[in-house]
Amino acid sequence: MTDQVKLQHHVEAINWNRIQDEKDVEVWNRLVNNFWLPEKIPLSNDVQSWNTLTEDEKLLTMRVFTGLTLLDTLQGTVGAVSLIPDALTPHEEAVYTNIAFMESVHAKSYSSIFSTLASTKEIDEAFRWSLENVNLQKKASIIEAYYYGEDPLKRKIASTLLESFLFYSGFYLPMYWSSRAKLTNTADLIRLIIRDEAVHGYYIGYKFQKNLEGLSEERKTELKDYTFELLYELYENEVQYTHDLYDSVGLSEDVKKFLHYNANKALMNLGYEAMFPSSVTDVNPAILSALSPNADENHDFFSGSGSSYVIGKAVNTEDEDWDF
Amino acid sequence: MKTDTKEVPEAFQGLGYHELNAMLNLYDKDGKIQFAADRAAARQYFLQHVNNNTVFFHDLDEKLEYLVKHEYYERETIDQYTMNFVRGLYAHAYKKKFRFETFLGAFKFYTSYTLKTFDGNRFLERYEDRVCMVALHLARGNEQLATQLVDEIMDGRFQPATPTFLNAGKAQRGELVSCFLLRVEDNMESIARGINSSLQLSKRGGGVALSLTNIREHGAPIKQIENQSSGVIPVMKLLEDSFSYANQLGARQGAGAVYLHAHHPDIYRFLDTKRENADEKVRIKTLSLGVVVPDITFQLAQTNEDMYLFSPYDVERVYGIPFSDVSVTEKYYEMVDDSRIKKTKINAREFFQTLAEIQFESGYPYVMFEDTVNRANPIKGKVIMSNLCSEILQVSSPSVYKEDLGYEEIGKDISCNLGSLNIAKAMDSPDLGATVETAIRALSAVSDMSYIGSVPSIAEGNKASHAIGLGQMNLHGYLAREHVHYGSEEGLDFTNIYFYTVLFHALSSSNKLAMETGETFGGFEDSKYASGEFFDKYTQAEWVPQTEKVRELFANVHIPTQQDWEQLKASVMEHGIYNQNLQAVPPTGSISYINNSTSSIHPVAAKIEIRKEGKLGRVYYPAPYLTNENLDYYQDAYEIGYEKIVDTYAAATQHVDQGLSLTLFFKDTATTRDINRAQIYAWRKGIKTLYYIRLRQLALEGTEVEGCVSCAL
Repeated sequence: MTDQVKLQHHVEAINWNRIQDEKDVEVWNRLVNNFWLPEKIPLSNDVQSWNTLTEDEKLLTMRVFTGLTLLDTLQGTVGAVSLIPDALTPHEEAVYTNIAFMESVHAKSYSSIFSTLASTKEIDEAFRWSLENVNLQKKASIIEAYYYGEDPLKRKIASTLLESFLFYSGFYLPMYWSSRAKLTNTADLIRLIIRDEAVHGYYIGYKFQKNLEGLSEERKTELKDYTFELLYELYENEVQYTHDLYDSVGLSEDVKKFLHYNANKALMNLGYEAMFPSSVTDVNPAILSALSPNADENHDFFSGSGSSYVIGKAVNTEDEDWDF
Repeated sequence: MKTDTKEVPEAFQGLGYHELNAMLNLYDKDGKIQFAADRAAARQYFLQHVNNNTVFFHDLDEKLEYLVKHEYYERETIDQYTMNFVRGLYAHAYKKKFRFETFLGAFKFYTSYTLKTFDGNRFLERYEDRVCMVALHLARGNEQLATQLVDEIMDGRFQPATPTFLNAGKAQRGELVSCFLLRVEDNMESIARGINSSLQLSKRGGGVALSLTNIREHGAPIKQIENQSSGVIPVMKLLEDSFSYANQLGARQGAGAVYLHAHHPDIYRFLDTKRENADEKVRIKTLSLGVVVPDITFQLAQTNEDMYLFSPYDVERVYGIPFSDVSVTEKYYEMVDDSRIKKTKINAREFFQTLAEIQFESGYPYVMFEDTVNRANPIKGKVIMSNLCSEILQVSSPSVYKEDLGYEEIGKDISCNLGSLNIAKAMDSPDLGATVETAIRALSAVSDMSYIGSVPSIAEGNKASHAIGLGQMNLHGYLAREHVHYGSEEGLDFTNIYFYTVLFHALSSSNKLAMETGETFGGFEDSKYASGEFFDKYTQAEWVPQTEKVRELFANVHIPTQQDWEQLKASVMEHGIYNQNLQAVPPTGSISYINNSTSSIHPVAAKIEIRKEGKLGRVYYPAPYLTNENLDYYQDAYEIGYEKIVDTYAAATQHVDQGLSLTLFFKDTATTRDINRAQIYAWRKGIKTLYYIRLRQLALEGTEVEGCVSCAL
């Protein structure tokens, strides 16, 4: 393992008028349209609701969010950046820079939630917990090792598993709260993050599959075996992490189903078959329904800002439009 | 009260009501929508939550006595009646065997409306109890009216708006009125009064809108010294914080809107407060925005010219009246040529494009078409603004304040209380005219009972105008039930004749009230009702259904004839009408869930609507009368497109004296040009106001959740 993330050695001017892969443009446009900042969500409306949580529930929530902060920090500062040198097209590089930036926005968003809901002392304690929690540190270090590693395809596998699988033990909680009318604005913000992560995981997985094309059967088998091994390693760790977090409120079994569901989803993004049978992926319908990255809820404007607004495409009106 | 007596199907056993409700949004293995899951959710909600948490009383007498004694109910409300009558009324209500049709209906009622113990933990009312208290309170001792109200509300034909339905009869409560509109003039006293009034009114309930059009722009002179004023943005900031501070005993969050004229020099600053990347100092998060657009702006855009923005400070000095009261369309070129008025210019098409960009990012601003509104206004004076839901359109006049904020002259500000008919149930009514009359009486009672002393301009305005707003909901539900497509020829035909008929009954009822009380609204003599001009379009032309289908739908409902209108006209010209304003069609969020309606006269937002609110969380609501067999008639608003929605609203608008909240729905593939085209189309069709722009962004293909109803691409 080298210490440094590989950097691009050679730079060419990017020409968006010569597109090798249409998917790059599609995803770029989607990511740009989806741009958002945490300031748009009136998080302070959740303060009242926060105060109705029990101490255990508050502690759990703080810990879940510090865990997510750690993963987003990793993905923003190392993960997405480490994918750039192996990009197949210059546009793919551009998409990774966007992903890296939005991951940093996500990491900062959690801080917005913290500063709105909790005191400095509570925040500091939660961050200390994130440093000391063995399972959390382990999952970060497993992924990080591959980011610094030499195999570009393994980097993509690790990255997809992070985006599509590892985040979700944390995402479960705000979705659960919002189905119970708690912390609904926080949930709005998390849904914006989920909306982004869904695209990130999908795109990196897609690029992985592109890279597989033309490889020898032997190498393909190696990568597939590796994927399932890594997933299993992460899964075992994730199960312990889940128990650590959720046992206190009795939700662990439900969260595990959610892990299975998302593990399958991550494998699908990489082009592989599911690992968990449907009998253990029957996620709580309230969570599954809330998970849809569609932005189509009919929200009440007076209590939240919704997650459906996007940066619009500006097009001039023409004379014919004004023909009246 | 049980929701149904069937056993819970095996597939649903062991699930909580939230999980059952969420199953509505997931197809079963045969690809069918699981309506049974939602019914099971409603039932489980009662079994697991409501029944266990309802305070038990042996009988009605014990209950009422307890509630009055512990200051939950107002004694005066009940004391207007004999106990015998009250017992009979409750028995009558309970005999109707009311059941909530959906989980959300029940959940919404018990979360937000019903009376709870002061610690907020236990329920003190069932649905029937709430309805009876509302009826007793509004009928003010009139037994006949109380009985009629119980019938209309329990049978689902009439539904009072949230502030009335939530508060009536409770001892600890906010006001019964829905909406307040305040003018702000170009001086510090008026701004300070505006903020104070916003606090006072938010505390008591209802949304507040303020017109900022008259406030001098950023950089305008103060005491003739140039570059002193900071314009409208800091005022908006103050208002936003005021609304966050005040809420109605936690029942409803304070909510406010501000309106600004398109030709105000701060218009771009105003809009930019909603930009995604707006600086924190100017970002407006929770305040709603509205823009007042006159015809001239469209004409300037048509010829692709610049549009001039005029300093309100100078306009007021030149014309001697506030900027808002000057017709910009009429005086535009005069003001352009007047060197005393400072002006800046922007491009008109660019203005519309900016409007659309901001709407993409935030859903705001609302738009009020100033000249359309004023042409249709039968009352003397000018309508300069609308309200938080863009359906209230009434005239106002400025107040003049003393230095200590006392009144030199009390102007006229606006309040409105609302209630809506469920169109499907109203069409099933044994007597539509009587249904409308009961509703008009209930709404007038709210106006009569309201006197908000903390804001004299509101109190006096209400006292003089008795303005009310009868709304409508469940249009799409009704049309689908009758197998008519929303926005089709038959759909438009129905909408036209229905609103035509309701207008007739509303005016007749108000005329009756005037005769009974011997009182008309202040300024009746100067209105187009008094001159008879208002009635021309009904006496000079015949309004009848154009399609066979609509003739069938009205087979048992009388459609007013030209002769009916002649008689009404004569009676109105002789006796007047009691209410300055009669109709306004609100967006009906919460109450349409309780009433099992589709919102307002919109198409459904989705077959299974995902509803998100602060107090509810994320819940799922099936469109009324929807089954797995009639899905075709429930094309959603995004699929239907703006033309059919605008056409439907245009058919209704011509019979409504105030406004109708009209939301436009776009897929995320739309551009600002599409939004602009929709706005132009709406303006040309005679629409008065536009409410939100809603966008639906579907997941990138490959990232969606499988098997979820709302995810269908």
